[in-house]
Amino acid sequence: MATGDFMKIITIASGKGGVGKSMLASSLAMVLAESRKVITVDCDVDAPNLGLSLGLKDSDYDTWKEITTNEKAELIESRCNGCKKCVDVCNFNAIEWDDERDMPVFDRMFCEGCGACELVCPRDAIVLKKAMNAKIGTGKTRYGFGIVSGQLKMGESGSGKIVFVTKKTAEDIGRKEGAEIMLIDAAAGIGCPVIASITGSDYVVAVTEPTPSAFSDLERVLRVVEHFGIPYGLVINKHDINNAFTKRVEHFAKGAGIPIIGKIPYDKEFVKANVGMKPIVSYDRGKKKMFQKIASEVLAHSD
Amino acid sequence: MRIAITGGKGGTGKSTIATSLASYISKDRRVLLFDADVDCPNDHIILSSKRKNIGTVTHMVPKWDMSKCTRCGRCSEVCKMNAVVQVRERNPIFIADQCNGCGACMIACPSGAISKSKKDIGHIYTSNNGNVDMIGGDMIPGQMLSEFVVSAAKKEVEEKSSDYDVVITDTAAGTHCDVISALIGNEMAIAVTEPTQLGAHDLKLVMKLLKVLGIPAKIVLNRSDIGDPGLIEDVAKRYGSEIIASIPYSKSVIDSYSKGKPVRDSGIENMASYISGLDGNG
Repeated sequence: MATGDFMKIITIASGKGGVGKSMLASSLAMVLAESRKVITVDCDVDAPNLGLSLGLKDSDYDTWKEITTNEKAELIESRCNGCKKCVDVCNFNAIEWDDERDMPVFDRMFCEGCGACELVCPRDAIVLKKAMNAKIGTGKTRYGFGIVSGQLKMGESGSGKIVFVTKKTAEDIGRKEGAEIMLIDAAAGIGCPVIASITGSDYVVAVTEPTPSAFSDLERVLRVVEHFGIPYGLVINKHDINNAFTKRVEHFAKGAGIPIIGKIPYDKEFVKANVGMKPIVSYDRGKKKMFQKIASEVLAHSD
Repeated sequence: MRIAITGGKGGTGKSTIATSLASYISKDRRVLLFDADVDCPNDHIILSSKRKNIGTVTHMVPKWDMSKCTRCGRCSEVCKMNAVVQVRERNPIFIADQCNGCGACMIACPSGAISKSKKDIGHIYTSNNGNVDMIGGDMIPGQMLSEFVVSAAKKEVEEKSSDYDVVITDTAAGTHCDVISALIGNEMAIAVTEPTQLGAHDLKLVMKLLKVLGIPAKIVLNRSDIGDPGLIEDVAKRYGSEIIASIPYSKSVIDSYSKGKPVRDSGIENMASYISGLDGNG
């Protein structure tokens, strides 16, 4: 992504959901904002939670803008000659044939808007129409820095493209405000929205916890990060819930030359902070040092 | 009977509950567990079962015969994924990672220079740990076409489903195309959530999606004692659903979780008896 070279893009990813991405993003943003100008971005457009982690409900955002990144095929019935070429050509099973009406039926949920049917139709009976598939919210957190959140419209598709528009929106605002750091909270998984989140990043913070599932998912997301050649560091969350497994993760990191930039212990205070919609460093100031250390590691590695 | 375990937010306990429920029900019923989280499949890890690769999932990609190409640029013009780049008078450049295999370039090419080829995007696995039969998909990291891996695995599940009393589908987090693909065809979906604002927020998104899909939805409240269950009760009421089981945040559940094992909890038993009740086999 062509950002001004003053703005560093740092993305938090994990593969597995619920291991602490938004927790880390919200507290990391707070401690980074003490010395840098920060803008935060929620790129989990399926289930955006970063705003809530920073105390912002949807109604607390300054603006919500509907966006269109997709098109959907529609039929002009009077032109259809019943040749069925559109059904044969669709690789997404989005077109079925209605025998009774002798006409194709388009399933909006599966239509990718690729335009193959439009191209193959001999009668120009198919047109692509823009589909409002997401909204993007912009706002200010009570901690001084801004937030941009993407949200996929229910039953619509195209998370990857929505992530790109969400990032672009944040980039424009960040550039206007002179932001030095854009902190992205990615979705769970390793698919298109996650790839869209990490491409163009200067540094990735991979979060994991010492469980077999989280470790397996970590290895998968790291393969994606490596595919794009982005430098990264590892944070082990709840490292003391399974010390033996944490050793295994550390051993793996050492062998692969991955820096461990933070280890966060399990503590009921995190649950309370989450319930109270506050970043842990705001809820329990004793935890601040730990996150400042992670922040300085992030800055050292991404500069 | 086909039931999906879903939830929107990641880490609410979908896989833990899906595997625990499958293990519990398998004591007296024939159960097939479908791990539809092809981005991050974990059910086989929790069930300690070794997976057997039963097939590769491929997807169509175009292939150019440059001797036929007239460098007209139509392929690049019609590609909505920006997977074909062409500079005037030069050969088109294909970026396979961006391609979703729609075939538009092939249709648009006036000189027949583009033909069908394929790329590997994932694998289908089966496994059995002695109690639970499992089918799962696994996308190759770096690929973007999760939904096609889900569809391929689902086809396998549908072919075998008549051999089982209950098919439990464990979906990925989120509400995107692969979750939708995994949900369609289920008679009921159980959304796993936790009693926090984050949980309630994402639960609303899933309830909305299930309404759009026309799938009846029930709720299981995980970590039921950590926050305010009222938040979830409100969502349940608003969407005409109900909480069919609650699982508290206990030491034994965390222990099982951190070791990657199914959990034993009365909440799982309540879910199982609820499902048996629906089936008329309680």
